[in-house]
Amino acid sequence: MKLEVVGQSVIRVDGLAKLRGKATYPQDLYMDNMLYGKTLRSIKPHANIRLNISKAEKMEGVIKILTYKDVPHNHYGVLFKDHEVFSSTKVRSIGDPLAFVVATSDKIATKALEEIEVFYEDLDAVFDPIEAMQDNAPKVHDKSNIVYKYQLRKGDVDKAFQQCDVIIEEEYKTSMVDHAFLQPEAGLAYQENETFVVCAATQYPHFDQLEIAEALEVPLEKVRVINPAVGGAFGGREDITMQIHLALATKLTGRPVKTIYSRQESFVAHSKRHPLIMKYKTGANKEGKLLAMEATIVGDTGAYASWAINILRKSGVHATGPYEIPNVKVDSYAVYTNNPFAGAMRGFGATQVPIAHEQQMDMLAEKLNINPIEFRLINCFRKGSTTATGQILEESIPLVECIEAVEKSLKQTTQGGV
Amino acid sequence: MEIKEVFKPKAIEEAIKLLDHYQEASKIIAGGTDLIISIREGKEPAPVIIDVSSIGEIKEINEIDEWIEIGAGTTFTNITEAAILQGRYQGLIDAAASVGSPQIRNAATIGGNICNASPAADFIPPLLALDSLLIIQSTDQIREVKLEDFLRDKGKVALSSNEILTKVKFKKLNKGQGLGFNKLGLRKALAISRICTAVYLEVSEDSKCNEMRIANGSLGRYGLREKAVEDYFKGRALTDDTIRIGGGLLKDEVNSRLQGRSSAEFKREAVDGVFTVALTKAIENCSHRKGDLI
Amino acid sequence: MKKISLKINGKEYNVEIEKDMRLLDLLRDQLHLTGTKEGCGEGECGACTVIMDGVTVNSCMVLAFQADGSEIITIEGLDKGDKLHPIQKAFLDEGAVQCGFCIPGMVLSAKALLDKKPSPSRKEIREGISGNLCRCTGYNKIVDAIDKASQYLKEEGEEK
Repeated sequence: MKLEVVGQSVIRVDGLAKLRGKATYPQDLYMDNMLYGKTLRSIKPHANIRLNISKAEKMEGVIKILTYKDVPHNHYGVLFKDHEVFSSTKVRSIGDPLAFVVATSDKIATKALEEIEVFYEDLDAVFDPIEAMQDNAPKVHDKSNIVYKYQLRKGDVDKAFQQCDVIIEEEYKTSMVDHAFLQPEAGLAYQENETFVVCAATQYPHFDQLEIAEALEVPLEKVRVINPAVGGAFGGREDITMQIHLALATKLTGRPVKTIYSRQESFVAHSKRHPLIMKYKTGANKEGKLLAMEATIVGDTGAYASWAINILRKSGVHATGPYEIPNVKVDSYAVYTNNPFAGAMRGFGATQVPIAHEQQMDMLAEKLNINPIEFRLINCFRKGSTTATGQILEESIPLVECIEAVEKSLKQTTQGGV
Repeated sequence: MEIKEVFKPKAIEEAIKLLDHYQEASKIIAGGTDLIISIREGKEPAPVIIDVSSIGEIKEINEIDEWIEIGAGTTFTNITEAAILQGRYQGLIDAAASVGSPQIRNAATIGGNICNASPAADFIPPLLALDSLLIIQSTDQIREVKLEDFLRDKGKVALSSNEILTKVKFKKLNKGQGLGFNKLGLRKALAISRICTAVYLEVSEDSKCNEMRIANGSLGRYGLREKAVEDYFKGRALTDDTIRIGGGLLKDEVNSRLQGRSSAEFKREAVDGVFTVALTKAIENCSHRKGDLI
Repeated sequence: MKKISLKINGKEYNVEIEKDMRLLDLLRDQLHLTGTKEGCGEGECGACTVIMDGVTVNSCMVLAFQADGSEIITIEGLDKGDKLHPIQKAFLDEGAVQCGFCIPGMVLSAKALLDKKPSPSRKEIREGISGNLCRCTGYNKIVDAIDKASQYLKEEGEEK
């Protein structure tokens, strides 16, 4: 078989336009008669709110100020519809959108934001996911803060720990991370043949179309989403940010509307990587064979669920790392807090757990007085291994070769005296 | 506040006239790497902006009698490329090279670094260690002031609204004299100093310290001299032991100065290492010129 | 409003600008030279890099009036019609372009570096692009590309 792409060096099709500065990102779009939008966002993590837009509305150059009252269906979200397009009665995190000012210039829109009065009535907030799991914790969404629990059981861990010669018990925490893609969110929406066209850099144009149509209560075919050049995403453009605001703005004004987020606004507007708290207990016998592992994982999804279920499931599934352990018990939770919301980011829950399982491996090896590389080779997945979820790995599992290559490279580096 | 007027004078006389006319309403811009951020954040109180980046006479670096004079409009890139500063003054080049990024160094000026008086300004410690004088001009007078006296507080300097800093000058360094600089940042580029230290050193023929001037950045409300430590070194041989003891004294100084700050514990330890490297570089730079060992 | 004149990519412009406008805004919003990007607005990311009077600057940190009388090169000024600049060709050949948002700034930083130092070491290349962030983590290929661009430029020089 002759392969034309696999194994060949292929010139990237969009490379040339990007190198000449001709690739069009959403902020590069301009239209005649275009208006500019700016988002007013919450500065409180948990509060009842009320807005007064009357002063801002009267400013010269302000065409329209969108609030929750203008949204036919004020809910959206990738899994649960727990986001509001604009907060109606309360805010759940700093950065929640409250209003969208549409004006004849960017400057006027910015000034108008300052003229909108926001009355906050502070509510008790919760920022620690462990606290948020308690029954008496402040409720982010008028129900339990526990969004999801994933359970994995294999064998009998209690019995297996009794047979272990060494056990390591530790707790690990990872931090919230922003994707910081280089192109801040931007978009332009306009009407064409009674269709609302939204140009925005997104990872999910077909789903954006659905969410816009739902929010506006218009048929799906009346919404068109164009995805121009995307300046990095890494998971951070899976959830909607400005798409509905823009579609609604063009629907209500009849004119093209553009908005660009500053870097600062970009940070507060999109999701983050879930910070995880991971309690691990791992045991092995003195020959270095892993016998049991128990883990409790708590993921802080902030004020909105986004992909929390899929992500904390993935953390649970990957909790053992690439090691065969006959007895496994994992409980993995996703929890609401009043922190910035967390969602998709490269690795999708599988990135955080190695912090815990690999440190456990090193500490067990140390306690057993076994070389940490050898200890991994004793336990790692090979062809035919069974994972904690019962999957039999029947195809290529070149982990042994990988570990050996790393070992070889490490030796060269240290021998080279670097 | 809205910007009402902007000017781009080509000569210092012209700039001074504008300053004299607009006084507090005016603000000087040179590289713009600090001011434009303030303007964008709506923090800039001046409706009149005077750009001095096209004034050639404040961009020169000259040797005049026993002095080196550097124009306030000199960019950090100009400093890193100045042949005159290589060798004994390497500390100045190292400080300039540690600022921001190539783009920032191409625009940002030493005058801006001094007059904005950030606690983390990288170029202030080496100039303090050189015991620099500033030349300040207004329509009425040209005055000289010690940099040490010019710095009043975080972001505050002794400059009237009708005055402009035109030059920085310090004594030329001779045999046995040199300047070292070291900086601790969170990364290699675009890093604001956590600590930066400059050491001016004069060593005698028998390798004793005749004089030392140490200045630190990011360890107080503005760049500061470390006189207690300087006194300790005076007249002593520079050995592993004395450097260790001197570093210890500096740790104590910093510890008491940063009391109650969350960074105290870290900076107290780190300053010792940063100082030791700066001093080692100063020793190297003392004997820099070809064939002219200490 | 204020009138200024400047040269951009070899062409003279006489423009009326707002006094608080940045050079970046002039290039993008007024002249629609949108190859110059805004990534952070505070001089950290380098996406808005242009060459001004021979040196790279962040165009988000220059007020437009400051550019009066200056000569600017943006990414649009690099290629000559159908013919790519050797730096652009090297980026393409080495696969150094991913999302592309950092690329105009990267290429101009590379140009400023190679204009000054035709044969930079890899360390000097890294230093030369230290004011330009790439978030797709494509630095290795970008360094490879600048290395290759240095060769291309030399070969081009020999041909002439």
